[in-house]
Amino acid sequence: MSARISLQLENLQLRAGGLPEGRMLIESLNVSIQSGERWVLLGPNGAGKSTLLMVLAGLVQPNAGEARLNGHRLADWAPADLARQRAWCPQFWFDPFPVSAWETVASAQLALSPQADAAQVETTARRWLSEFGVGHLADNDVRLLSGGERQRVALATACAQDAPLLLLDEPSAHLDWSHQALLQARLKRWSSSGGTVLAAVHDLNLAWTLASHALLLDGRGGALAGTREEVLGAGTLSHAYGVPVSQREEDGRRWFRIDLEHSA
Amino acid sequence: MAGSAGWGWPSHEIFWLIRVPRVLAAFGTGAALALAGALIQLVSRNPLADPHVLGVTSGASLGAVLMLAFAAGLPLAPEIGAVCGALGSMTLVFGLAWGGMNRGLSPSAAPGTVLVLLVGVMVGTVCGAGVSFTLSVANDSQLRNIVFWLLGDLNGASLWWPIWAAAGIALLLVWPRARELDWIARGDAWAWTLGVPVARRRRTAIFAACLVTGAAVATAGSIGFVGLVAPHIVRLTGLRHARLLIPFSAVFGGVFLVLADTAARTLIAPVQLPVGVISAAVGAPLFLALLLRRHA
Repeated sequence: MSARISLQLENLQLRAGGLPEGRMLIESLNVSIQSGERWVLLGPNGAGKSTLLMVLAGLVQPNAGEARLNGHRLADWAPADLARQRAWCPQFWFDPFPVSAWETVASAQLALSPQADAAQVETTARRWLSEFGVGHLADNDVRLLSGGERQRVALATACAQDAPLLLLDEPSAHLDWSHQALLQARLKRWSSSGGTVLAAVHDLNLAWTLASHALLLDGRGGALAGTREEVLGAGTLSHAYGVPVSQREEDGRRWFRIDLEHSA
Repeated sequence: MAGSAGWGWPSHEIFWLIRVPRVLAAFGTGAALALAGALIQLVSRNPLADPHVLGVTSGASLGAVLMLAFAAGLPLAPEIGAVCGALGSMTLVFGLAWGGMNRGLSPSAAPGTVLVLLVGVMVGTVCGAGVSFTLSVANDSQLRNIVFWLLGDLNGASLWWPIWAAAGIALLLVWPRARELDWIARGDAWAWTLGVPVARRRRTAIFAACLVTGAAVATAGSIGFVGLVAPHIVRLTGLRHARLLIPFSAVFGGVFLVLADTAARTLIAPVQLPVGVISAAVGAPLFLALLLRRHA
Protein backbone atom coordinates (compact mmCIF):
# COMPACT_ATOMS: atom_id res chain seq x y z
CA MET A 1 0.00 0.00 0.00
CA SER A 2 2.50 2.59 -1.04
CA ALA A 3 -0.14 4.66 -2.87
CA ARG A 4 -1.40 7.59 -0.87
CA ILE A 5 -5.05 8.48 -0.80
CA SER A 6 -7.20 11.33 0.40
CA LEU A 7 -10.89 11.10 1.04
CA GLN A 8 -12.97 14.27 1.28
CA LEU A 9 -16.57 14.39 2.45
CA GLU A 10 -18.31 17.67 1.61
CA ASN A 11 -21.72 18.48 3.12
CA LEU A 12 -22.48 14.79 2.95
CA GLN A 13 -26.08 13.98 3.85
CA LEU A 14 -27.29 10.48 4.53
CA ARG A 15 -30.75 9.02 5.12
CA ALA A 16 -31.66 5.47 6.13
CA GLY A 17 -31.21 3.06 3.24
CA GLY A 18 -30.07 5.97 1.06
CA LEU A 19 -33.77 6.65 0.37
CA PRO A 20 -35.07 10.23 0.08
CA GLU A 21 -37.90 9.48 2.53
CA GLY A 22 -35.57 7.61 4.93
CA ARG A 23 -34.87 8.73 8.50
CA MET A 24 -32.15 11.41 8.70
CA LEU A 25 -28.88 9.77 9.73
CA ILE A 26 -26.32 12.44 8.94
CA GLU A 27 -27.39 16.03 8.30
CA SER A 28 -24.17 17.44 6.90
CA LEU A 29 -20.74 15.91 7.32
CA ASN A 30 -17.47 17.57 6.36
CA VAL A 31 -14.33 15.60 6.96
CA SER A 32 -10.99 14.99 5.33
CA ILE A 33 -9.29 11.63 5.71
CA GLN A 34 -5.62 11.20 4.81
CA SER A 35 -3.10 8.41 4.38
CA GLY A 36 -1.73 6.96 7.58
CA GLU A 37 -4.84 7.75 9.62
CA ARG A 38 -6.90 5.20 11.50
CA TRP A 39 -10.52 6.29 11.86
CA VAL A 40 -13.06 4.58 14.07
CA LEU A 41 -16.71 5.01 13.23
CA LEU A 42 -18.90 5.03 16.33
CA GLY A 43 -22.57 5.48 17.13
CA PRO A 44 -25.65 3.65 18.37
CA ASN A 45 -27.29 0.80 16.44
CA GLY A 46 -28.91 2.09 13.27
CA ALA A 47 -27.01 5.39 13.38
CA GLY A 48 -25.76 4.88 9.81
CA LYS A 49 -22.26 3.46 10.30
CA SER A 50 -22.71 0.65 7.74
CA THR A 51 -24.53 2.94 5.32
CA LEU A 52 -21.72 5.50 5.53
CA LEU A 53 -19.14 2.78 4.86
CA MET A 54 -21.17 1.68 1.84
CA VAL A 55 -21.26 5.28 0.61
CA LEU A 56 -17.47 5.47 0.95
CA ALA A 57 -17.17 2.13 -0.86
CA GLY A 58 -19.20 3.60 -3.74
CA LEU A 59 -22.08 1.18 -3.24
CA VAL A 60 -24.65 3.75 -2.09
CA GLN A 61 -25.12 7.33 -3.28
CA PRO A 62 -25.31 10.00 -0.57
CA ASN A 63 -28.61 11.91 -0.38
CA ALA A 64 -26.77 15.20 -0.75
CA GLY A 65 -23.21 16.44 -0.81
CA GLU A 66 -20.21 14.62 -2.17
CA ALA A 67 -17.53 12.13 -1.37
CA ARG A 68 -14.28 12.62 -3.25
CA LEU A 69 -11.43 10.16 -3.45
CA ASN A 70 -8.13 11.67 -4.57
CA GLY A 71 -10.07 14.68 -5.84
CA HIS A 72 -12.52 12.75 -8.04
CA ARG A 73 -16.17 12.20 -7.13
CA LEU A 74 -16.68 8.58 -6.05
CA ALA A 75 -19.53 8.19 -8.54
CA ASP A 76 -17.13 9.04 -11.38
CA TRP A 77 -14.69 6.23 -10.59
CA ALA A 78 -14.82 3.08 -12.70
CA PRO A 79 -15.53 0.13 -10.36
CA ALA A 80 -12.34 -1.63 -11.44
CA ASP A 81 -10.19 1.44 -10.63
CA LEU A 82 -11.96 1.95 -7.32
CA ALA A 83 -11.16 -1.66 -6.42
CA ARG A 84 -7.45 -0.76 -6.45
CA GLN A 85 -8.02 2.12 -4.03
CA ARG A 86 -10.34 0.72 -1.37
CA ALA A 87 -11.32 -2.66 0.04
CA TRP A 88 -14.72 -3.04 1.71
CA CYS A 89 -15.28 -5.71 4.32
CA PRO A 90 -19.01 -6.10 5.08
CA GLN A 91 -20.47 -6.91 8.46
CA PHE A 92 -22.24 -10.09 7.35
CA TRP A 93 -21.06 -12.93 5.17
CA PHE A 94 -23.18 -15.66 3.70
CA ASP A 95 -21.39 -18.50 1.93
CA PRO A 96 -23.91 -20.55 -0.02
CA PHE A 97 -21.40 -22.95 -1.61
CA PRO A 98 -18.30 -24.75 -0.35
CA VAL A 99 -15.03 -22.91 -0.90
CA SER A 100 -11.72 -23.00 0.95
CA ALA A 101 -10.51 -20.10 3.07
CA TRP A 102 -7.46 -19.37 0.91
CA GLU A 103 -9.54 -19.34 -2.27
CA THR A 104 -11.86 -16.79 -0.68
CA VAL A 105 -8.87 -14.61 0.15
CA ALA A 106 -7.49 -15.07 -3.36
CA SER A 107 -10.69 -13.79 -5.03
CA ALA A 108 -9.78 -10.17 -4.45
CA GLN A 109 -6.31 -10.57 -5.97
CA LEU A 110 -7.64 -12.51 -8.96
CA ALA A 111 -10.34 -9.92 -9.59
CA LEU A 112 -7.79 -7.12 -9.72
CA SER A 113 -5.15 -8.94 -11.74
CA PRO A 114 -6.71 -11.83 -13.68
CA GLN A 115 -3.34 -12.68 -15.25
CA ALA A 116 -1.58 -13.02 -11.90
CA ASP A 117 0.56 -16.09 -11.36
CA ALA A 118 -1.63 -18.68 -9.60
CA ALA A 119 1.11 -19.93 -7.28
CA GLN A 120 1.97 -16.36 -6.28
CA VAL A 121 -1.69 -15.56 -5.55
CA GLU A 122 -2.03 -18.66 -3.38
CA THR A 123 1.14 -17.83 -1.45
CA THR A 124 -0.08 -14.29 -0.79
CA ALA A 125 -3.50 -15.55 0.30
CA ARG A 126 -1.98 -18.05 2.72
CA ARG A 127 0.37 -15.40 4.09
CA TRP A 128 -2.53 -13.05 4.87
CA LEU A 129 -4.42 -15.85 6.58
CA SER A 130 -1.35 -16.48 8.75
CA GLU A 131 -1.14 -12.76 9.52
CA PHE A 132 -4.59 -13.03 11.08
CA GLY A 133 -3.85 -16.30 12.86
CA VAL A 134 -5.92 -18.54 10.59
CA GLY A 135 -3.12 -19.91 8.40
CA HIS A 136 -3.82 -23.41 9.69
CA LEU A 137 -7.40 -23.15 8.35
CA ALA A 138 -6.38 -22.15 4.82
CA ASP A 139 -7.70 -25.36 3.26
CA ASN A 140 -10.89 -25.55 5.34
CA ASP A 141 -14.34 -24.86 3.94
CA VAL A 142 -15.32 -21.33 5.02
CA ARG A 143 -18.83 -22.55 5.86
CA LEU A 144 -17.45 -24.69 8.67
CA LEU A 145 -15.43 -21.96 10.39
CA SER A 146 -16.46 -20.33 13.68
CA GLY A 147 -17.71 -16.75 13.66
CA GLY A 148 -14.37 -15.33 14.75
CA GLU A 149 -12.43 -17.48 12.28
CA ARG A 150 -14.70 -16.42 9.41
CA GLN A 151 -14.25 -12.81 10.47
CA ARG A 152 -10.46 -13.15 10.29
CA VAL A 153 -10.70 -14.78 6.84
CA ALA A 154 -12.74 -11.73 5.78
CA LEU A 155 -10.08 -9.36 7.17
CA ALA A 156 -7.35 -11.30 5.35
CA THR A 157 -9.44 -11.02 2.16
CA ALA A 158 -9.73 -7.24 2.54
CA CYS A 159 -5.99 -6.84 3.17
CA ALA A 160 -5.08 -9.13 0.27
CA GLN A 161 -6.94 -6.83 -2.09
CA ASP A 162 -3.93 -4.54 -1.51
CA ALA A 163 -5.90 -1.30 -1.77
CA PRO A 164 -4.61 1.53 0.46
CA LEU A 165 -8.01 2.36 2.02
CA LEU A 166 -9.61 -0.29 4.24
CA LEU A 167 -13.34 0.13 4.96
CA LEU A 168 -14.13 -2.36 7.71
CA ASP A 169 -17.64 -2.90 9.05
CA GLU A 170 -17.29 -4.12 12.64
CA PRO A 171 -13.93 -5.87 12.15
CA SER A 172 -13.75 -6.78 15.85
CA ALA A 173 -17.13 -8.56 15.86
CA HIS A 174 -16.84 -12.20 17.03
CA LEU A 175 -13.14 -11.74 17.88
CA ASP A 176 -11.83 -12.85 21.27
CA TRP A 177 -9.46 -10.57 23.21
CA SER A 178 -6.26 -11.97 21.81
CA HIS A 179 -7.53 -11.59 18.26
CA GLN A 180 -8.80 -8.08 18.96
CA ALA A 181 -5.21 -7.31 19.95
CA LEU A 182 -3.97 -8.97 16.76
CA LEU A 183 -6.45 -6.91 14.73
CA GLN A 184 -5.15 -3.71 16.34
CA ALA A 185 -1.57 -4.64 15.61
CA ARG A 186 -2.33 -5.40 11.95
CA LEU A 187 -4.29 -2.19 11.43
CA LYS A 188 -1.57 -0.10 13.07
CA ARG A 189 1.03 -1.68 10.82
CA TRP A 190 -1.24 -1.01 7.85
CA SER A 191 -1.46 2.71 8.64
CA SER A 192 2.21 3.07 9.55
CA SER A 193 3.12 1.86 6.05
CA GLY A 194 0.93 4.57 4.53
CA GLY A 195 -2.44 2.80 4.46
CA THR A 196 -5.70 4.25 5.73
CA VAL A 197 -8.26 2.51 7.92
CA LEU A 198 -11.91 3.34 8.57
CA ALA A 199 -13.57 0.87 10.91
CA ALA A 200 -16.99 0.74 12.55
CA VAL A 201 -16.52 -0.32 16.16
CA HIS A 202 -18.78 -0.74 19.20
CA ASP A 203 -16.20 -1.20 21.96
CA LEU A 204 -15.25 2.31 23.11
CA ASN A 205 -12.04 1.18 24.82
CA LEU A 206 -10.94 -0.74 21.75
CA ALA A 207 -11.84 2.33 19.70
CA TRP A 208 -9.56 4.53 21.79
CA THR A 209 -6.49 2.33 21.45
CA LEU A 210 -7.14 1.55 17.80
CA ALA A 211 -7.84 5.03 16.51
CA SER A 212 -5.95 8.13 15.59
CA HIS A 213 -9.23 9.79 14.61
CA ALA A 214 -12.89 9.21 15.33
CA LEU A 215 -16.23 9.92 13.70
CA LEU A 216 -19.16 9.78 16.12
CA LEU A 217 -22.74 9.58 14.81
CA ASP A 218 -25.70 10.16 17.11
CA GLY A 219 -28.31 8.63 14.77
CA ARG A 220 -30.36 11.85 14.80
CA GLY A 221 -28.46 13.71 12.11
CA GLY A 222 -25.53 14.80 14.23
CA ALA A 223 -21.94 13.81 13.44
CA LEU A 224 -18.71 14.74 15.18
CA ALA A 225 -15.35 14.20 13.49
CA GLY A 226 -11.81 14.85 14.63
CA THR A 227 -8.87 13.37 16.48
CA ARG A 228 -9.72 10.74 19.05
CA GLU A 229 -8.95 13.21 21.87
CA GLU A 230 -11.44 15.70 20.42
CA VAL A 231 -14.25 13.25 19.74
CA LEU A 232 -14.04 10.52 22.38
CA GLY A 233 -15.08 11.99 25.71
CA ALA A 234 -17.64 11.33 28.41
CA GLY A 235 -19.83 14.23 27.26
CA THR A 236 -19.89 13.47 23.54
CA LEU A 237 -20.37 9.73 24.08
CA SER A 238 -23.15 10.22 26.64
CA HIS A 239 -24.95 12.47 24.17
CA ALA A 240 -24.53 10.10 21.20
CA TYR A 241 -25.50 6.88 22.98
CA GLY A 242 -28.11 8.34 25.32
CA VAL A 243 -26.60 6.65 28.39
CA PRO A 244 -24.33 8.24 31.01
CA VAL A 245 -20.73 7.39 30.04
CA SER A 246 -17.94 8.21 32.45
CA GLN A 247 -14.26 8.52 31.63
CA ARG A 248 -11.02 7.90 33.51
CA GLU A 249 -7.53 8.98 32.40
CA GLU A 250 -4.47 6.85 32.95
CA ASP A 251 -1.07 7.75 31.46
CA GLY A 252 -2.76 9.65 28.63
CA ARG A 253 -5.07 6.76 27.88
CA ARG A 254 -8.82 7.13 28.36
CA TRP A 255 -11.06 4.42 29.77
CA PHE A 256 -14.80 4.57 29.28
CA ARG A 257 -17.60 2.84 31.08
CA ILE A 258 -21.36 3.18 31.40
CA ASP A 259 -22.51 4.57 34.73
CA LEU A 260 -25.12 1.93 35.40
CA GLU A 261 -26.10 3.45 38.79
CA HIS A 262 -27.12 6.68 37.06
CA SER A 263 -28.79 5.20 34.01
CA ALA A 264 -32.51 4.50 33.93
CA MET B 1 -27.22 -49.90 -28.17
CA ALA B 2 -30.39 -51.66 -27.24
CA GLY B 3 -33.51 -51.53 -29.39
CA SER B 4 -36.93 -51.09 -27.90
CA ALA B 5 -38.12 -54.49 -29.09
CA GLY B 6 -35.46 -56.43 -27.26
CA TRP B 7 -31.69 -56.57 -26.99
CA GLY B 8 -29.69 -56.62 -30.15
CA TRP B 9 -28.12 -54.45 -32.81
CA PRO B 10 -30.55 -52.12 -34.57
CA SER B 11 -30.47 -51.83 -38.33
CA HIS B 12 -28.30 -49.24 -39.99
CA GLU B 13 -31.22 -46.88 -40.71
CA ILE B 14 -32.71 -47.09 -37.24
CA PHE B 15 -29.30 -46.45 -35.72
CA TRP B 16 -28.50 -43.32 -37.76
CA LEU B 17 -31.99 -41.89 -38.19
CA ILE B 18 -33.50 -42.61 -34.78
CA ARG B 19 -31.01 -43.70 -32.15
CA VAL B 20 -28.20 -41.24 -32.80
CA PRO B 21 -30.44 -38.15 -33.04
CA ARG B 22 -32.26 -39.27 -29.91
CA VAL B 23 -29.04 -39.74 -27.95
CA LEU B 24 -27.83 -36.35 -29.15
CA ALA B 25 -31.14 -34.75 -28.14
CA ALA B 26 -31.00 -36.43 -24.72
CA PHE B 27 -27.43 -35.30 -24.13
CA GLY B 28 -28.18 -31.75 -25.22
CA THR B 29 -31.29 -31.54 -23.05
CA GLY B 30 -29.57 -32.85 -19.94
CA ALA B 31 -26.59 -30.57 -20.52
CA ALA B 32 -28.84 -27.55 -21.04
CA LEU B 33 -30.85 -28.13 -17.86
CA ALA B 34 -27.73 -28.72 -15.77
CA LEU B 35 -26.12 -25.59 -17.22
CA ALA B 36 -29.21 -23.54 -16.38
CA GLY B 37 -29.30 -24.99 -12.87
CA ALA B 38 -25.66 -24.15 -12.19
CA LEU B 39 -26.14 -20.57 -13.41
CA ILE B 40 -29.33 -19.93 -11.46
CA GLN B 41 -27.86 -21.36 -8.25
CA LEU B 42 -24.79 -19.13 -8.56
CA VAL B 43 -26.52 -15.83 -9.30
CA SER B 44 -29.35 -16.40 -6.82
CA ARG B 45 -26.82 -17.60 -4.21
CA ASN B 46 -29.29 -20.37 -3.52
CA PRO B 47 -28.31 -24.05 -3.65
CA LEU B 48 -32.00 -25.03 -3.93
CA ALA B 49 -32.74 -23.04 -7.07
CA ASP B 50 -33.43 -24.92 -10.28
CA PRO B 51 -34.18 -23.80 -13.84
CA HIS B 52 -37.92 -24.12 -13.36
CA VAL B 53 -38.06 -21.16 -10.96
CA LEU B 54 -37.48 -18.91 -13.97
CA GLY B 55 -41.05 -19.44 -15.17
CA VAL B 56 -39.75 -20.40 -18.61
CA THR B 57 -40.55 -24.09 -18.14
CA SER B 58 -44.19 -23.37 -17.41
CA GLY B 59 -44.36 -20.82 -20.22
CA ALA B 60 -42.95 -23.29 -22.73
CA SER B 61 -45.21 -26.04 -21.36
CA LEU B 62 -48.28 -23.85 -21.78
CA GLY B 63 -47.33 -23.12 -25.39
CA ALA B 64 -46.75 -26.80 -26.14
CA VAL B 65 -49.91 -27.96 -24.37
CA LEU B 66 -52.06 -25.39 -26.20
CA MET B 67 -50.69 -26.62 -29.53
CA LEU B 68 -51.23 -30.27 -28.59
CA ALA B 69 -54.81 -29.53 -27.57
CA PHE B 70 -55.87 -27.20 -30.37
CA ALA B 71 -53.45 -27.62 -33.27
CA ALA B 72 -52.02 -31.09 -32.89
CA GLY B 73 -52.17 -31.70 -36.64
CA LEU B 74 -49.50 -29.19 -37.50
CA PRO B 75 -45.93 -30.45 -38.03
CA LEU B 76 -43.75 -29.88 -34.94
CA ALA B 77 -46.81 -28.54 -33.10
CA PRO B 78 -45.56 -28.91 -29.50
CA GLU B 79 -42.05 -27.75 -30.37
CA ILE B 80 -43.29 -24.56 -32.03
CA GLY B 81 -45.66 -23.95 -29.14
CA ALA B 82 -42.89 -24.48 -26.60
CA VAL B 83 -40.51 -22.09 -28.34
CA CYS B 84 -43.21 -19.40 -28.50
CA GLY B 85 -44.19 -20.02 -24.88
CA ALA B 86 -40.57 -19.91 -23.73
CA LEU B 87 -39.87 -16.67 -25.59
CA GLY B 88 -43.13 -15.14 -24.34
CA SER B 89 -42.53 -16.00 -20.69
CA MET B 90 -38.87 -14.93 -20.92
CA THR B 91 -39.92 -11.55 -22.31
CA LEU B 92 -42.51 -11.20 -19.57
CA VAL B 93 -40.10 -12.11 -16.75
CA PHE B 94 -37.35 -9.84 -18.06
CA GLY B 95 -39.81 -6.99 -18.70
CA LEU B 96 -41.32 -7.13 -15.24
CA ALA B 97 -38.04 -7.61 -13.36
CA TRP B 98 -35.80 -5.39 -15.53
CA GLY B 99 -35.59 -2.49 -13.08
CA GLY B 100 -34.73 -4.72 -10.14
CA MET B 101 -32.22 -6.75 -12.10
CA ASN B 102 -30.11 -3.68 -12.81
CA ARG B 103 -30.31 -2.16 -9.37
CA GLY B 104 -30.19 -3.67 -5.96
CA LEU B 105 -26.74 -4.27 -4.54
CA SER B 106 -26.87 -5.13 -0.90
CA PRO B 107 -24.23 -6.55 1.39
CA SER B 108 -26.16 -9.56 2.57
CA ALA B 109 -28.68 -10.48 -0.10
CA ALA B 110 -29.26 -10.24 -3.81
CA PRO B 111 -32.55 -8.32 -4.05
CA GLY B 112 -32.31 -7.99 -7.82
CA THR B 113 -32.06 -11.73 -8.27
CA VAL B 114 -34.73 -12.41 -5.68
CA LEU B 115 -37.07 -10.17 -7.66
CA VAL B 116 -36.33 -12.05 -10.89
CA LEU B 117 -36.98 -15.39 -9.25
CA LEU B 118 -40.21 -14.21 -7.58
CA VAL B 119 -41.43 -12.78 -10.89
CA GLY B 120 -40.39 -16.06 -12.56
CA VAL B 121 -42.29 -18.15 -10.05
CA MET B 122 -45.39 -15.97 -10.47
CA VAL B 123 -45.27 -16.06 -14.27
CA GLY B 124 -44.75 -19.82 -13.96
CA THR B 125 -47.76 -20.11 -11.66
CA VAL B 126 -50.04 -18.30 -14.11
CA CYS B 127 -48.77 -20.45 -16.99
CA GLY B 128 -49.26 -23.54 -14.82
CA ALA B 129 -52.88 -22.50 -14.30
CA GLY B 130 -53.19 -22.23 -18.09
CA VAL B 131 -51.80 -25.76 -18.47
CA SER B 132 -54.28 -27.10 -15.89
CA PHE B 133 -57.12 -25.32 -17.66
CA THR B 134 -56.12 -26.80 -21.02
CA LEU B 135 -55.84 -30.26 -19.47
CA SER B 136 -59.35 -30.01 -18.06
CA VAL B 137 -60.92 -29.09 -21.41
CA ALA B 138 -58.85 -31.48 -23.56
CA ASN B 139 -60.40 -34.74 -24.80
CA ASP B 140 -59.07 -38.18 -23.91
CA SER B 141 -56.89 -38.77 -26.95
CA GLN B 142 -55.22 -35.37 -26.57
CA LEU B 143 -54.81 -35.94 -22.88
CA ARG B 144 -52.40 -38.86 -23.22
CA ASN B 145 -50.11 -36.92 -25.56
CA ILE B 146 -50.20 -33.90 -23.30
CA VAL B 147 -49.49 -35.82 -20.11
CA PHE B 148 -46.59 -37.68 -21.73
CA TRP B 149 -45.19 -34.44 -22.98
CA LEU B 150 -45.53 -32.82 -19.57
CA LEU B 151 -43.73 -35.73 -17.90
CA GLY B 152 -40.69 -35.14 -20.06
CA ASP B 153 -40.34 -37.38 -23.06
CA LEU B 154 -37.62 -37.81 -25.65
CA ASN B 155 -39.73 -40.13 -27.76
CA GLY B 156 -39.78 -38.56 -31.21
CA ALA B 157 -37.24 -35.90 -30.32
CA SER B 158 -35.64 -36.05 -33.75
CA LEU B 159 -34.54 -32.44 -33.85
CA TRP B 160 -31.38 -32.53 -31.82
CA TRP B 161 -29.34 -29.58 -33.03
CA PRO B 162 -31.36 -26.60 -31.66
CA ILE B 163 -30.68 -27.61 -28.06
CA TRP B 164 -26.96 -27.99 -28.84
CA ALA B 165 -26.97 -24.58 -30.45
CA ALA B 166 -28.72 -23.02 -27.44
CA ALA B 167 -26.34 -24.67 -24.97
CA GLY B 168 -23.35 -23.59 -27.08
CA ILE B 169 -24.52 -19.97 -27.15
CA ALA B 170 -25.15 -20.01 -23.39
CA LEU B 171 -21.69 -21.42 -22.68
CA LEU B 172 -20.05 -18.81 -24.91
CA LEU B 173 -21.98 -16.08 -23.08
CA VAL B 174 -21.09 -17.09 -19.54
CA TRP B 175 -17.98 -19.25 -19.53
CA PRO B 176 -15.29 -16.64 -20.29
CA ARG B 177 -16.41 -14.66 -17.20
CA ALA B 178 -17.45 -17.63 -15.09
CA ARG B 179 -14.98 -16.83 -12.31
CA GLU B 180 -16.89 -13.63 -11.57
CA LEU B 181 -20.01 -15.70 -10.89
CA ASP B 182 -18.17 -17.34 -7.98
CA TRP B 183 -17.62 -13.91 -6.45
CA ILE B 184 -21.22 -12.84 -7.07
CA ALA B 185 -22.27 -16.04 -5.27
CA ARG B 186 -20.27 -14.87 -2.24
CA GLY B 187 -22.02 -11.50 -2.19
CA ASP B 188 -23.05 -9.27 -5.05
CA ALA B 189 -22.19 -5.98 -3.33
CA TRP B 190 -18.80 -7.38 -2.38
CA ALA B 191 -18.25 -8.59 -5.96
CA TRP B 192 -19.07 -5.09 -7.19
CA THR B 193 -16.41 -3.61 -4.90
CA LEU B 194 -13.90 -5.94 -6.60
CA GLY B 195 -14.77 -4.28 -9.91
CA VAL B 196 -17.16 -6.94 -11.24
CA PRO B 197 -20.01 -5.46 -13.33
CA VAL B 198 -22.52 -7.41 -11.26
CA ALA B 199 -25.75 -6.28 -12.92
CA ARG B 200 -24.48 -7.15 -16.40
CA ARG B 201 -23.14 -10.58 -15.39
CA ARG B 202 -26.37 -11.38 -13.58
CA ARG B 203 -28.47 -10.37 -16.59
CA THR B 204 -26.35 -12.43 -18.95
CA ALA B 205 -26.45 -15.50 -16.70
CA ILE B 206 -30.23 -15.32 -16.26
CA PHE B 207 -30.71 -14.79 -20.00
CA ALA B 208 -28.49 -17.78 -20.81
CA ALA B 209 -30.36 -19.93 -18.28
CA CYS B 210 -33.74 -18.91 -19.74
CA LEU B 211 -32.50 -19.63 -23.27
CA VAL B 212 -31.32 -23.17 -22.56
CA THR B 213 -34.29 -24.00 -20.32
CA GLY B 214 -36.72 -22.92 -23.03
CA ALA B 215 -34.82 -24.94 -25.63
CA ALA B 216 -34.71 -27.99 -23.35
CA VAL B 217 -38.47 -27.88 -22.74
CA ALA B 218 -39.08 -27.49 -26.47
CA THR B 219 -36.92 -30.56 -27.17
CA ALA B 220 -38.09 -32.94 -24.49
CA GLY B 221 -40.84 -31.45 -22.39
CA SER B 222 -40.55 -30.63 -18.76
CA ILE B 223 -37.81 -32.77 -17.18
CA GLY B 224 -37.19 -32.10 -13.54
CA PHE B 225 -34.33 -32.96 -11.23
CA VAL B 226 -31.32 -32.71 -13.61
CA GLY B 227 -31.05 -28.94 -13.32
CA LEU B 228 -31.22 -28.95 -9.54
CA VAL B 229 -28.93 -31.87 -8.83
CA ALA B 230 -26.27 -32.00 -11.55
CA PRO B 231 -24.36 -28.99 -10.13
CA HIS B 232 -24.46 -30.48 -6.63
CA ILE B 233 -23.10 -33.83 -7.76
CA VAL B 234 -20.31 -32.07 -9.63
CA ARG B 235 -19.55 -30.04 -6.48
CA LEU B 236 -19.43 -33.23 -4.42
CA THR B 237 -16.65 -34.47 -6.69
CA GLY B 238 -14.60 -31.41 -5.72
CA LEU B 239 -15.13 -29.30 -8.85
CA ARG B 240 -16.30 -26.14 -7.09
CA HIS B 241 -15.21 -23.27 -9.28
CA ALA B 242 -17.75 -21.92 -11.74
CA ARG B 243 -15.24 -22.27 -14.57
CA LEU B 244 -15.20 -26.04 -14.00
CA LEU B 245 -18.61 -26.39 -12.40
CA ILE B 246 -20.51 -25.02 -15.38
CA PRO B 247 -19.03 -27.23 -18.15
CA PHE B 248 -18.82 -30.35 -15.98
CA SER B 249 -22.41 -29.92 -14.81
CA ALA B 250 -23.39 -29.81 -18.47
CA VAL B 251 -21.42 -32.97 -19.28
CA PHE B 252 -22.82 -34.78 -16.24
CA GLY B 253 -26.39 -33.68 -17.00
CA GLY B 254 -25.99 -34.83 -20.62
CA VAL B 255 -24.59 -38.25 -19.76
CA PHE B 256 -27.16 -38.71 -17.02
CA LEU B 257 -30.09 -37.99 -19.32
CA VAL B 258 -28.71 -40.28 -22.07
CA LEU B 259 -28.52 -43.13 -19.55
CA ALA B 260 -31.96 -42.30 -18.14
CA ASP B 261 -33.44 -42.22 -21.62
CA THR B 262 -31.85 -45.55 -22.55
CA ALA B 263 -33.39 -47.03 -19.43
CA ALA B 264 -36.73 -45.41 -20.24
CA ARG B 265 -36.70 -47.01 -23.70
CA THR B 266 -35.66 -50.50 -22.65
CA LEU B 267 -36.76 -51.19 -19.07
CA ILE B 268 -40.25 -52.43 -19.91
CA ALA B 269 -39.91 -52.52 -23.71
CA PRO B 270 -41.83 -52.26 -25.94
CA VAL B 271 -43.50 -49.72 -23.65
CA GLN B 272 -41.46 -46.51 -23.60
CA LEU B 273 -41.48 -44.65 -20.31
CA PRO B 274 -41.17 -40.86 -20.20
CA VAL B 275 -37.53 -40.06 -19.41
CA GLY B 276 -38.65 -37.67 -16.66
CA VAL B 277 -39.93 -40.66 -14.68
CA ILE B 278 -36.53 -42.36 -14.76
CA SER B 279 -34.48 -39.24 -14.15
CA ALA B 280 -36.44 -38.48 -10.98
CA ALA B 281 -36.81 -42.07 -9.73
CA VAL B 282 -33.11 -42.93 -10.19
CA GLY B 283 -31.57 -39.52 -9.78
CA ALA B 284 -32.98 -38.59 -6.39
CA PRO B 285 -31.80 -41.76 -4.59
CA LEU B 286 -28.41 -41.48 -6.34
CA PHE B 287 -28.04 -37.94 -5.06
CA LEU B 288 -29.12 -38.92 -1.56
CA ALA B 289 -26.59 -41.76 -1.53
CA LEU B 290 -23.77 -39.39 -2.49
CA LEU B 291 -24.91 -36.79 0.02
CA LEU B 292 -25.29 -39.17 2.95
CA ARG B 293 -22.02 -40.97 2.24
CA ARG B 294 -20.35 -37.58 2.27
CA HIS B 295 -21.88 -36.64 5.60
CA ALA B 296 -21.64 -40.07 7.21
